[in-house]
Amino acid sequence: MWFRRLLSAFALLVPLVLVLIAIFLISYAWPAIRFNRLDFLLHDTWNIGNQYANPIVRRGATIMPGASFGIFFLVAGTLGSALIGLLIAFPLGLGAALFLSEAVPRRLGHLVSFFVELLAAIPSVVFGLWGIVFLVPLLSHHVYPILAETLSFLPFFRRPTGSGYGLLTSGLILSLMIVPFIAATLRDALASQSHAMREAGISLGATRFEVATRILLPGQKAALAGATMLAFGRALGETMAVLMVSGNALNYLPQNIYSPISTMAAFIVAQLDSALADPTGMAVRSLAEIAVLLLLISLLINGLARFMIGTLKEHTL
Amino acid sequence: MPCSSSHRLFARSCLILLAACLIGSPLRSSQAKTVHMIETGSTLLYPLFNLWVPVYTASHTNVRITTEATGSGTGIAQAAARLVQLGASDAYLSPALTHLHPGLLNIPLAISSQMVNYNLPGLNDRPLRLSGPVLAGIYTGRIRYWDAPAIRALNPGVPLPHHLILPIHRSDGSGDTFIFTQYLSFSAPSWMRTTAYGTTVSWPPVRNGMGATGNPGMVQALDTNPYAIAYIGVSYRSAILKDHLGQALLENRAGHFVSLTAAHVMAAVRARVNATPPNQAISLVYAPGAESYPIINYEYVVVEKHQPNPSLALSVRQFLDWAISAQGGNAPSFLNRVGFVPLPPRAIRQSEKQISEIR
Repeated sequence: MWFRRLLSAFALLVPLVLVLIAIFLISYAWPAIRFNRLDFLLHDTWNIGNQYANPIVRRGATIMPGASFGIFFLVAGTLGSALIGLLIAFPLGLGAALFLSEAVPRRLGHLVSFFVELLAAIPSVVFGLWGIVFLVPLLSHHVYPILAETLSFLPFFRRPTGSGYGLLTSGLILSLMIVPFIAATLRDALASQSHAMREAGISLGATRFEVATRILLPGQKAALAGATMLAFGRALGETMAVLMVSGNALNYLPQNIYSPISTMAAFIVAQLDSALADPTGMAVRSLAEIAVLLLLISLLINGLARFMIGTLKEHTL
Repeated sequence: MPCSSSHRLFARSCLILLAACLIGSPLRSSQAKTVHMIETGSTLLYPLFNLWVPVYTASHTNVRITTEATGSGTGIAQAAARLVQLGASDAYLSPALTHLHPGLLNIPLAISSQMVNYNLPGLNDRPLRLSGPVLAGIYTGRIRYWDAPAIRALNPGVPLPHHLILPIHRSDGSGDTFIFTQYLSFSAPSWMRTTAYGTTVSWPPVRNGMGATGNPGMVQALDTNPYAIAYIGVSYRSAILKDHLGQALLENRAGHFVSLTAAHVMAAVRARVNATPPNQAISLVYAPGAESYPIINYEYVVVEKHQPNPSLALSVRQFLDWAISAQGGNAPSFLNRVGFVPLPPRAIRQSEKQISEIR
């Protein structure tokens, strides 16, 4: 009996931590939530105010003169870079999974997928460093000018190509970080399907490609959707690598795909030190409000992933 | 039974352990005089503390000092919360913070300065002349090209390229941003009205502009981006020289363009030190005088004057007195390695007076 109680206590501990963190964050950010109202989401005006002036009272809160906290540019940067990352990672992950499960001999497939999964084990700061030292100069000097030239008919791809730090670079780095999520999950799902399906397809005269795309993949919609959403969630919350290659734009929206951006997670890291010096505390509480928002979005995405897996599974079964 | 014998063994080893603790405790109480101090804050002061601490603790064996590089804001906040004894900051305490924490002292330890650097292919060996209003124009996006009339007027005869300027600023909170924006604020009234100064400011959106993290990030961003401009702490001068980047001559209050040398920094210190109030919260930026370099600052340690016990207070006082003395921490053997300049005698006296208030 006591053993069961102990186990349930352990099992409850984990969700309890999540709830406690959420409660702490919301209560800590509450003064900021009340002060910032909806301006928080709608404006591009992050400014912790003049720290060397005297505090003033506005909308019932004590703040430094000039203080204003609007993070629409962060929401745009976060969603934009994660979406670009996903757009690149999805076909790559899909292709890698199909290749590994269907096109190569099983043993080689195991070996290669081991390396694909290793990609997920690389610490994000390593990605960031590689991005700064190798990827950013390469992209800004060689790739982006060509891209801007060839895709000049698309408005968002036109010049100026900027410094190499920005939206597309962040998306590229993010795509490398989330490819293994999609590839590994989908490969396992494909590999788990029975051989009878494959044999039946081939006996009907289908090519291996047709078997993979028409027979095997449709059965794995749930896994594909779930893996994609989880990868998206991972991209939204990524901090270090994006901080290093995003260009850390402040208070403006990207003008084109090469523009500097900043994301919610990276911004919290970058601004915390300055915010700590704010005697009114509103700057740190507003950063906590960003954290609340990030937490909500992550929970939402993960919830959506579960929901999709559930409904799609019912459909396919 | 094997079980009872193992029990006995366990009990015996417990007794031995207990005895060892009892015997060991007098030993430990004799070591209890060891005082542990924690320093955290400014990444610009961090290398200097790392030069100081091994030398100081070698001659003061009862003192342990842990150093951490976290950022000036963190240094101030943790010293105010009494989590650390020594908070390092590039910026002096704001009036509002002093009001909130009346026991906090900001004590200058040394003098730092800042370079304005650029990456202009072919022109990096040639020191360009730049002024506060021109830099303010660049960082607000009003001056967009290197061959803009305002820059050409300051640099007659220099073949400036028609290329977009890429202004780089610090995206993390930074004392470098604090003194750079002070230079712009004091020399360009329009900057003061729109953006003002702080360890982080709401940078005007400049197309092409970008943020970088830390001084190493600034050097890296400048090095990889031709036609960029950046402000960088003097400690990174060797990196700038190694990468063959340009360093500007800056216009001072008297209208002269001066290079960053110890003599020009000392001239600025001399011009401002007599104006320093007893609490030493003063900006040294844009000092008067024909020879004064315009962007310099006191590097501060932020200390709570009421320490939890007298022995800790004594250790903090002793360490800080050593740090500011010309024979101790302000000796050229330390300061030259990070590009800092020693405190002048009057500032040392003021710092000593503040240090004596730590109890």
